[in-house]
Amino acid sequence: MTAAILDLSHPANTVHWHFFLMSVSNVVVIVLMLLVFAVAIVAPFPGRGVKGPKK
Amino acid sequence: MSRSTRRDEDESYREWKGAYRPYDIVREAAIALLVVLALVVGLTILFSSPDDPASTIKSWSRGDPVDFVTTATTELDGTSGTGSYGPPYNHNSDGQHMAFIHLAKWAGVSHPINSAQDFVLAPLRSLTGQPALQHAISTYRAAPAKTQSGWTTAYETALAKASTTANGSVSVKPGSYGPVPTMMGALLRFAQSGGLDGALLTSKQFFQTDYTKPLLFMADGGVLANRAVAQHLDGSQWGMMNETGSYPGQTWLWLYTFWYQIKPFSTSANADILVMAVMGVLTLALILIPFIPGIRDIPRRVPIYKLIWREHYRSFPPADA
Amino acid sequence: MSGPARPSWTGAVRERAVRALPPEKLLPDSQPAYMASWIYLFGVLSLVSLMLIIASGLILGLKGPGWWHFTGVGHFFNSIHLWSVELFFFFMVIHLWGKYWMAAWRGGRARVWMTGAVTFVVAIPCALTGYVSQQNFDAQWISTQAKDGMNAVGVGAFFNVTNFGQMYSYHVLLLPLAVVALVVAHILLVRKHGIVPPFQRSALRKPPVDPTEADEHPVLAREHAPGNGSPAAPHPVSRGGGL
Repeated sequence: MTAAILDLSHPANTVHWHFFLMSVSNVVVIVLMLLVFAVAIVAPFPGRGVKGPKK
Repeated sequence: MSRSTRRDEDESYREWKGAYRPYDIVREAAIALLVVLALVVGLTILFSSPDDPASTIKSWSRGDPVDFVTTATTELDGTSGTGSYGPPYNHNSDGQHMAFIHLAKWAGVSHPINSAQDFVLAPLRSLTGQPALQHAISTYRAAPAKTQSGWTTAYETALAKASTTANGSVSVKPGSYGPVPTMMGALLRFAQSGGLDGALLTSKQFFQTDYTKPLLFMADGGVLANRAVAQHLDGSQWGMMNETGSYPGQTWLWLYTFWYQIKPFSTSANADILVMAVMGVLTLALILIPFIPGIRDIPRRVPIYKLIWREHYRSFPPADA
Repeated sequence: MSGPARPSWTGAVRERAVRALPPEKLLPDSQPAYMASWIYLFGVLSLVSLMLIIASGLILGLKGPGWWHFTGVGHFFNSIHLWSVELFFFFMVIHLWGKYWMAAWRGGRARVWMTGAVTFVVAIPCALTGYVSQQNFDAQWISTQAKDGMNAVGVGAFFNVTNFGQMYSYHVLLLPLAVVALVVAHILLVRKHGIVPPFQRSALRKPPVDPTEADEHPVLAREHAPGNGSPAAPHPVSRGGGL
């Protein structure tokens, strides 16, 4: 296998709550998605000035 | 909201006749491409990708000869997973169903597998220069079905307490097993030499790309399942979402695998068709959201849109109360 | 040429295409002013992720399905392919969330939503066929598990996940063609219909207008503008929008 800087080849750590069981990496991805979505709709977007309707 | 009000409002959304801003679509796509390329290359350099080598019948029979021989015996008497599967492999069961809907049975046996013939007898028959083995096979085939199953059942019971010898063969306590131990001993040696991997691949032509038979044989035993459980890939471990190692897996399958964890799906023999039915309905609902009352109105009621379009609404503040 | 020309199929197709998607709509250089949010970028992010999946897949295909197991370069491109897929689903799902909360099917855009949703649904078996084509332990496990789901609904009778040759064909050609065709249809529909305008606010006051700024803010200047800021006066056809 090509050497990676961070080795992910060991069996996953898991998050276990009642019947919910998910690998930490998957939890990280899902949490990241929610965070990125929240930031995307909340973060200010640079304005470029409003022009009139297209002629 | 009345239907005509909804229709009129919907018509008003058809075309934007208000203000525009300058926009460079090609530049946006180019920048997006560079950003995602940088992300992908960064992730590749940081984490690479997993590549756990495949199991083989050779490695299985050498690493766990007892499990191999036990599985092979269940293939011989048709009690293995594949032997009793039903369509599309054989008619030994009806397959899964949901009420009167028997989709597997209706689709039929399209990839016929006779577990005794394909996994045991035909590979053994191909071994030449072993008259004792061929005699054992003939003895087995000539015996009545009840005798055959008596031998295999007794052998499977004995295998539960079997041990492995120094040369990799299997040792059980003496019993009435007929020619079965001779056949299984030969099959084990054939597997440990690597010959059975190739023999199971052969079919009607020289070139092969269909690994169904060796994969089903291995899946009937413990070699794949043991590795999977160690990597959290088993169904009860939400394994459908997972990847080997600690890599992120298929997070988009979260809802599909969720149903398998709860009743009635978790204890049903027809879990697969039931879960597929639920997911089929939900998938159709996802596609048809624009037409589903209630679901299509939630965005109007939960004002996340106020955040997205706050600049637009700021230009048009609401009337004073 | 004398006499009336015979009606031409080519001409009819061209005229219909140009009517639906004139160049200014296909490649616009302006977009509605209400598009002022980062959420609008997730469509193009999904698209470029798909491009990287295809590009890395092309390179993996150059040396056949076994190459990546035995060389560092091959493994590198396998990693590019895997992470592109992870990012594709990451961005696509966020794009879906954004479009849902905007109710982006409004104003005759139901087909835009539907083509997007079907793209997501078709991308899943496209990924599955890739996972079972890896020729490693992961492929062995996924194929022997997925076969039960497929067989249970009768699909396994003609779609055999343990048949590497069949799965590789679906993964490299048939399903990517389907995904690309759906994405093209989706994008062309977006270009045709434009980006969905904001929800109307039912009681919006007309803001005071400085007559000297009327040229910069013609929307605000219109006397008959309804409260939501969507004036009813007609505009030229060439209208822009985002990806």
